[in-house]
Amino acid sequence: MTTRTTLLVVLLGLPAVVLLALGPRGQRHIPADRTVVRYWEKWAGVEALAMQRIVDRFNETIGAEQNIWVEYCVVSNVDQRMLIATAGGDPPDVAGLFDHIVPQYADRDALMELDDLIVEFQIDRDTFKPIWLEIGRYDDKLYGLPSTPYTIALYYNRRLFRAAGLDPDRPPQTTGELNDYAARLTRYETSDDDRRRIVQLGFTTSPGMLGWWHWIWPNFFGGRLWDGQRFAIDTPAGHAAAEWTHQRREAIGNPEMLKFEGTTGAIEGAQNPFLSERLAMVFQGPWMSNWISKYAPGLDYAVAPFPSATAEEHHAFASTDVFVIPAGSRHPREVMVFLKYVLQQDVLEELCREHGKISPFRAPAPDFYATHTNPFIRVFDEMAGSPDAFGYPPMPTWAHASAELLKMHENILRGVRDPDEAVKATQQRVDTIVAEYQRMAAQRRGDRRDR
Amino acid sequence: MTRKSATIQGLLWTAPWWLGFLLLLAIPMGFSLYISFCDYPLLQRPVFIGADNYRQLARDPVFYKVVGNTFIYAALAIPAGTVVAVLLAVLLNQRVRGQALFRACIFVPTIVPLVAVGVVWMWMLNPEAGLVNQAIRPVGQLVLPAAQALDNATNGAQWSQPILGVAQDLAEGPAWLDRPRWAMLALVLIALWLLGSPIVIYLAGLQDIPTTLYEAAELDGASRIRRFWHVTLPGLSPVILFNVIVGIIATWQIFALPYVIWRSRSGPEDATYFYTMYLFDNAFKYLKMGYASAMAWIQLLIILVLTALVFWASRRTVHYRGV
Repeated sequence: MTTRTTLLVVLLGLPAVVLLALGPRGQRHIPADRTVVRYWEKWAGVEALAMQRIVDRFNETIGAEQNIWVEYCVVSNVDQRMLIATAGGDPPDVAGLFDHIVPQYADRDALMELDDLIVEFQIDRDTFKPIWLEIGRYDDKLYGLPSTPYTIALYYNRRLFRAAGLDPDRPPQTTGELNDYAARLTRYETSDDDRRRIVQLGFTTSPGMLGWWHWIWPNFFGGRLWDGQRFAIDTPAGHAAAEWTHQRREAIGNPEMLKFEGTTGAIEGAQNPFLSERLAMVFQGPWMSNWISKYAPGLDYAVAPFPSATAEEHHAFASTDVFVIPAGSRHPREVMVFLKYVLQQDVLEELCREHGKISPFRAPAPDFYATHTNPFIRVFDEMAGSPDAFGYPPMPTWAHASAELLKMHENILRGVRDPDEAVKATQQRVDTIVAEYQRMAAQRRGDRRDR
Repeated sequence: MTRKSATIQGLLWTAPWWLGFLLLLAIPMGFSLYISFCDYPLLQRPVFIGADNYRQLARDPVFYKVVGNTFIYAALAIPAGTVVAVLLAVLLNQRVRGQALFRACIFVPTIVPLVAVGVVWMWMLNPEAGLVNQAIRPVGQLVLPAAQALDNATNGAQWSQPILGVAQDLAEGPAWLDRPRWAMLALVLIALWLLGSPIVIYLAGLQDIPTTLYEAAELDGASRIRRFWHVTLPGLSPVILFNVIVGIIATWQIFALPYVIWRSRSGPEDATYFYTMYLFDNAFKYLKMGYASAMAWIQLLIILVLTALVFWASRRTVHYRGV
């Protein structure tokens, strides 16, 4: 090597080595001798701050006693990243997921079973409302523990009800009545150049406008999409829901609706059409009250259970964010110490309150309701106790089935396909997806046995 | 230095490249080819299933839909992008005051993050308040009577209906992002706004055309249009070929813009569900890594075939100086 080359290598290499050795480090002050538990969570912003406070308290108390340090990390698309990290052999120790991911991941061996661990760590499952533990269960095994649960109800604008001649203390009692109310609450305007446009909408199931739960409607007609083995949309309930959504859109007018949808902005902001009083009724969760107090504090609204097809039925959608331990977690026992702390009623209810969610406990503490930011939180809480309450269909192919249901719903709304035809076609398509998945799963099981 | 030690030293010096190539490209590609013949849900071992994934793809209606959508997008975006980029490059090549400013204005959108581009265009294309519709409506209202007259004259013939439909949409201001007819065009429109990079390459190509050719053409009495047609275009043809091939690759990989604009949905009636989006959904939503890998290899083949076709079609129209 010539002198010039050596000089070049030293000049380029030395700063790199110095930077690596003495360069800036992240702001981590983890006390020595602590076992670090990496906790990946999807919550950001205010929700993350609430969890961070709990994590900090844990680190200062139980964590200090038992030499555990929980490191909270906000991760977008946490489910996908957790899966990739798990496949790469370096998963987080604990993660916060949406409940509908649990069957898909559990069936692919991505999650650790928790039944034995919660017994060992004396987490009392009887203190929780049964539905919240049931949601984290797949194939008779527990994979997810509830963190912040919620139900979805009907928010309605009392002022617009009065203006339309409706009784603001009597929300719709059936889906049929909801359609009638929606028609009375929808107003149009014709411009000088003869263009008709919606200025106020009664209700919409449109996925493009606050309709996050496009698949849900058959449940309010008494149907359930998964019976443990078979997906079922081609049922009387499925057809009734399809016809109902179709009629709803026909009554509004498709071109006008598409224009109206195009003018609505972000859900969390003053452009949210319910907050700006352009939408009279909306299917939403308890967190909505946080946005109302921030962006429309004077809004005169109320909350009621979403109506079912008949007044005798009380179907209610219940869902929860869950804590899971990924397969391959290095410190599952330390995670359980942390989760035992978080799942204490006072701690978890503090988190749920700050997230604007309901309490997962059978008997919420009296101050939970008193100090909750949502004045209608009891409505949401009571819905979780309904015998007709239901969650996401616990099927491992839900992501795929849900995409098919979304297409079906949009095709029905737009009048692209006859509702009955669309339902039958979706049934066939999802049947194929499920059959294919089951065939592959059987093949995998056979392959495992052979090895 | 012996031949052997020279080889070793050569390999060592080039190690950063070939190690990177092996570890980050060749081996993953080989693995992806293998798992395209497997059922592989990521966390469980891949199970060899032969050509099942490819057979399933052949029966998958969504696959054909996304292939069709991507072809249509490429067929619209590449020619339109080429024409607009070449014309803009020629304009930006004129010696006028503020030339640098104009060039910067054209290039700036290229450095805006795609998510921001998506959000800005969602507002630009807003059916009621969007700037695009504000500009289009008067044009539509001019065109509509003609379309209605045509429809009346043909007694509502079937072929005149789409024309009338488009004219009516234009007069009212299209629901760009909510109608299948307009959604694809909306994306092409946005793509035209992002032409900064090819324009820069065309500008560089224009500098490379000898001025003597223009002078000779001028002496022969060629008009500006003829000079553009007979000097500029042939001179730019290798650059056009390069940009078309890059365009084919880019359009077949379109993902971020439709993903942002339609919030990870497949657009109105699946009109903006593209190949890479379906591949991503299979890999990371449905956890069908084998199926997604099969799609990736078919995508590679499609791009290779299209590139080969472009090369073949261009053999008489691309002029290389000195060749």
